[in-house]
Amino acid sequence: MKKKLFIIGGLVAIAPTLLSFCGFYVSKADGTLKNKTSQVILVRDGNKSVITMYNDFKGDTKDFAMVVPVPVVLRKDDIKVVDQSIFQKLNDYSAPRLVEYWDENPCNSYRNEDKLMRSVLGNAQEMSAPSSSVAKKSSVKIEAQYIVGEYDILILSAKESTGLKNWLNDNGYKIPANAEEVLDPYIKSNLKFFVVKVNEKEKRKLNSNFLRPIQISFNSPKFMLPIRLGMANADGDQDLIVYAFTRKGRIESTNYRNVDIASNKNIPLFIQKNFGAFYGNLFTNQWQKENKSVAFLEYAWNVTPINQMKCDPCVGNPPTEQDLVQSGVWWLGNKDWTDYSDLDNEEIDNGSRNVHFTRLHFRYNRSSFAQDLQFQVTPNTENYQARYIITHPATGSFSCASGQKYLKELRQRRRKELLELTALTGTNMNNWQEEATVKNDEEPNVSAQYATLIPQLNRESDNQNHPAGILLLGIAMLGGAGLMRWKGLI
Amino acid sequence: MHVNQIFKDARYFQIIFQSIFLCYGLYFLHWNSEYWLYATYFVSCLATQFIGEWLLGNKNIPFLTRYKSGIPSVLISAFGLSLLLKTNVTGVAVFASAFTIASKYIFRINGKHIFNPSALGIVAAIWLTGDAWVSPGQWGSNAVILFAVLSLGFIITTRIQKLDVSLAFLGVFAGLVFIRQIIYLGWPIDHFIQSVSTGSLLIFSFFMITDPKTIPNHTVVRIIWSAAIAAIAFYLAAFKFINAAPIFVLVLAQPLVPLLDRLFKARKFEWAPVSRITPEEKNFLQIVYSRSTM
Repeated sequence: MKKKLFIIGGLVAIAPTLLSFCGFYVSKADGTLKNKTSQVILVRDGNKSVITMYNDFKGDTKDFAMVVPVPVVLRKDDIKVVDQSIFQKLNDYSAPRLVEYWDENPCNSYRNEDKLMRSVLGNAQEMSAPSSSVAKKSSVKIEAQYIVGEYDILILSAKESTGLKNWLNDNGYKIPANAEEVLDPYIKSNLKFFVVKVNEKEKRKLNSNFLRPIQISFNSPKFMLPIRLGMANADGDQDLIVYAFTRKGRIESTNYRNVDIASNKNIPLFIQKNFGAFYGNLFTNQWQKENKSVAFLEYAWNVTPINQMKCDPCVGNPPTEQDLVQSGVWWLGNKDWTDYSDLDNEEIDNGSRNVHFTRLHFRYNRSSFAQDLQFQVTPNTENYQARYIITHPATGSFSCASGQKYLKELRQRRRKELLELTALTGTNMNNWQEEATVKNDEEPNVSAQYATLIPQLNRESDNQNHPAGILLLGIAMLGGAGLMRWKGLI
Repeated sequence: MHVNQIFKDARYFQIIFQSIFLCYGLYFLHWNSEYWLYATYFVSCLATQFIGEWLLGNKNIPFLTRYKSGIPSVLISAFGLSLLLKTNVTGVAVFASAFTIASKYIFRINGKHIFNPSALGIVAAIWLTGDAWVSPGQWGSNAVILFAVLSLGFIITTRIQKLDVSLAFLGVFAGLVFIRQIIYLGWPIDHFIQSVSTGSLLIFSFFMITDPKTIPNHTVVRIIWSAAIAAIAFYLAAFKFINAAPIFVLVLAQPLVPLLDRLFKARKFEWAPVSRITPEEKNFLQIVYSRSTM
């Protein structure tokens, strides 16, 4: 059966929701602020880290406040605000993707090369503006104080958590009741507290409703993200997407297990209409199967800004050099854009301008993630992407012999696709019946329709349980014991 | 060797336990099934041993006998690499294997090799090539009971590894982590449990540091030596943020062992109890096992 790759549908797997990553929001009003999906860009080479935190705060910006533990006192130059569209670009580019193939009708060989489709779901963001006042008190030391962009920034150090907690309370921040259990270890680990509020005056100058992402850079051998503080005011599970850039290769978690999310799977055609929901199901299912305390790899690729394929297929435009510099990839930053002398001689590739992109997806909660996330940069340069494949059936008449054969193969393939779907998402076959019936277009033949196949598969699965594996294991164990007994070992 | 003899040889148990760990990683933890990498480790280790035995082996024993008798030890080393060392470059895998096995022939004092072969191979591959790494998080923390049972099971079934080394290392390491994380920093208890319940730590304590050929012979010295490794590894991990610190410290500490053995006399380790075997067998085993271990 011939297949042709025509196009690529991209998708955004992250729900457009509230977020913060390692900080927690402390509300001045008695609102119930939640942070559900966070995004953060991590750039790391040697001991230098650049961290950019996406700000998806919803609500009155007067109530906005963020506290992030940092290893050193940051200078003003170390703090920037960046354009938030960079997150959208990185997300679009590295998100799990759907690939479409078209079968050719074996009975006639017309082509439908102009069939292009796109299913990029937008990721809506909403935000509003903030303000605050800052006071001082003993026991907590204000190491530095800056205005950067629309933010008032304080860097605090504290001797003990009660003092810090009181200070924050006295200054009108409401501290989540259980934040103290993590404040103390942070203080004793000699971390500083990066406290952010919105400066209303600066905010008004900007003429924008959005709070821009804050980017901080510092030198420290610690390569970690403090998520524990973020758990203080979040109920339930929180998603975190990490976009990491390094010179050497992939990053991986050193204190949680790294798992590649299932990829390159053939799934039923009707998923096309609802890829976002499908991936949501898949992620939840895999996360539960892997016992939750894991880091999922969704994308890894060398995205060095020279001409080369950076994905297969690409969901969006690859990040440009400017995008990367904006994300904090400082080793690309020194290029003089008015200097064209290097156009002729292809850049000498000594690896010094290499950029490797890793996208990790965490879903954490207090019971499964006792520790902050720690990472290491590995020399692993292997490419990876979360990719799912749908195949459009051929159309037309299948009266010829090979046409009949094709239909038979199609039925087989679709049965496999349905089984794959239920295995990946951990759902029951029946859940998909409606979807399959409603979206059962472009089906060549009733017998090959998903809606027809689902009840068949259901009947079959009722009739057969698979005790073979358990039986084999039992026999092997008995055999082993028998052998040992025979040899007089037990 | 008689079949019973095979079952009494601790190396076969070690191979069985290591293969269980590898299968667990591949089938239950969904390691990116890089079978070529494991194949490369095994083939290159066996090939290096072939060359080593050919060039440097004891010429009084027929070549095939020598070669065959060394195979279990080579497999143990290859499993050691497979369980710990990651790389995407075939050349690096070959280099690590060759370094691992060759070290057994090259770095020797008084019939004992100085370095734990796989630990040295891992450190060499990481430091010299820059294209290899270890993944401390690869086991996760959920399987700790399985690991504990299997590791202890291994010690009990074989009775040949030194439990004192494992316990001294684990006790001191976990103790220091506890003091720092719980007593000093004040983290909740599950923070500490996650730190010490990784498979990597248990594999190191029960299968790597215990290598009877590369630990001091004298019991007290051995315990102090092991505790010191734990203390230094803890310092490097907690304050210098070095991953896989125990392996690096072990490799650096091993050259001290011949010196410690000279200063503190004790009976040299034998793989099989001397009383139960004839002098000829003893001579044979002496040669065969001189290159044993992971």
